[in-house]
Amino acid sequence: MSAHKSDAVIIGGGIIGTACGYYLSQKGLKVAIVEQGYLCSGSTGRCIGGIRQQFTSSGSIKLMMESVRHFQNMEQELGTDVHWHNGGYLFLAHSPEKKQAFLSNIAVQQAAGLKDVRWVDADECREIAPGMDAAGLLGGSYCPSDGQAYPFAVVQGYAGKIKQSGGSIHTFSKVSQILQQGGKVTGVKTDSGREFSAGVVINAAGPWSKDVGQMAGIEIPVEAERHEALITEGVEYLNIPMLVDYRADGGYFQQYKHNGQFIGCYSPVPNVPGHSVDSTFEFLHQMPKRMLKLVPGLKDLKVIRQWAGSYENTPDGNPILDRTGLEGFYTVAGMCGHGFMLGPAMGRVAADLIFSGGRDMPYPEFALKRDFSQAEAMK
Amino acid sequence: MANNTDKIVCRCEDITESEVLAAIEQGATTADEVKRLTRAGMGHCQGRTCRRLVNQMLARALGQKPETQRPITQRAPLQPLTLKALAEYKES
Repeated sequence: MSAHKSDAVIIGGGIIGTACGYYLSQKGLKVAIVEQGYLCSGSTGRCIGGIRQQFTSSGSIKLMMESVRHFQNMEQELGTDVHWHNGGYLFLAHSPEKKQAFLSNIAVQQAAGLKDVRWVDADECREIAPGMDAAGLLGGSYCPSDGQAYPFAVVQGYAGKIKQSGGSIHTFSKVSQILQQGGKVTGVKTDSGREFSAGVVINAAGPWSKDVGQMAGIEIPVEAERHEALITEGVEYLNIPMLVDYRADGGYFQQYKHNGQFIGCYSPVPNVPGHSVDSTFEFLHQMPKRMLKLVPGLKDLKVIRQWAGSYENTPDGNPILDRTGLEGFYTVAGMCGHGFMLGPAMGRVAADLIFSGGRDMPYPEFALKRDFSQAEAMK
Repeated sequence: MANNTDKIVCRCEDITESEVLAAIEQGATTADEVKRLTRAGMGHCQGRTCRRLVNQMLARALGQKPETQRPITQRAPLQPLTLKALAEYKES
């Protein structure tokens, strides 16, 4: 079997892999996406589609502002309706400590250029999210330009453009070996024995990025963690933004504008490490409790489906976007549950770095070898 | 794009035969891929009707027997339940 030849091989057909592939294709590189399942079969296809700019690392805030600009123009750029809607995000503070933390975060976010984020009191929260039970609420951090989009459409849009540019998508192709010669990467080999040769290989394998790194003898500090989600039937759009409740019995959920379905999840405590995407009955009755606590009027809404997916966590909650000790081998992973929203800007920045070969890291806080002790507070 | 002679495959999401065929044309080889490309099977009934039709269409297009096609992943709850009914569940 002769080797498939391209300029760049990307391991992973989720948002990060296809976004990197799209921007490299735009620069004239021939791209091959090698995906172990089908497009979106990993984390991207299991996320709830929220897009926010409210972070505390200046790198993440700036990237997210750029991502929002991409999402706004995506229908035109990719020729696909990605259901972008700026429904906003409202983070709720039920304690003075949370309020103080949000006020500090808002100052950081505004200094980074996010001008429309602001503190809103409990009365205004009720106006922003009609029907919300504001008992015990001190107020919230609200950014109306945050939004939502449909992950499957975004990835398909990127994939279509990659193919149009002469690139190729190889599904059900699991990488089993990173090929190298003289300290430089030369391609990958899949478990069916097929070789894909290229001078650039990108590890965009999300929750599996650590395993992919190990194939090249490179330690990538990314750990998979199971999160669960559910979706309801669709009803009329109620103008409720993404509500984020950080309390121990809180969660986060939003309503899709395009079909009226509510979709949401909560972060499990303790966390559930590993690649399992099994669903639990505990989540199926806990999540509705948490949703109704915030918006009691949704009680007659029917849940139609639950599932699980993986977060890919780094120790500090920030992504990894860097070259590695193996020349030509890059890692763009560890999105900590924000891969879908970061994807467009992350893909653009990664593609610029890879294409230019510049030595200056665009985001030093995302370096592979960094001090991981400073945590992203809005992780 | 649906036309007036097109057959409905997924009744919940109004997905037609030509939309499923377009997904297969685009490269889908499994029912789960068709589901993600078209939303067939994502509605209230979770594919009770369309999952068999999708598998038949896939098998025909790929020259396989329908039973070799894995059905779409079915998820809990088996039938739609209200948030209230689920929230009121008490562990005994």
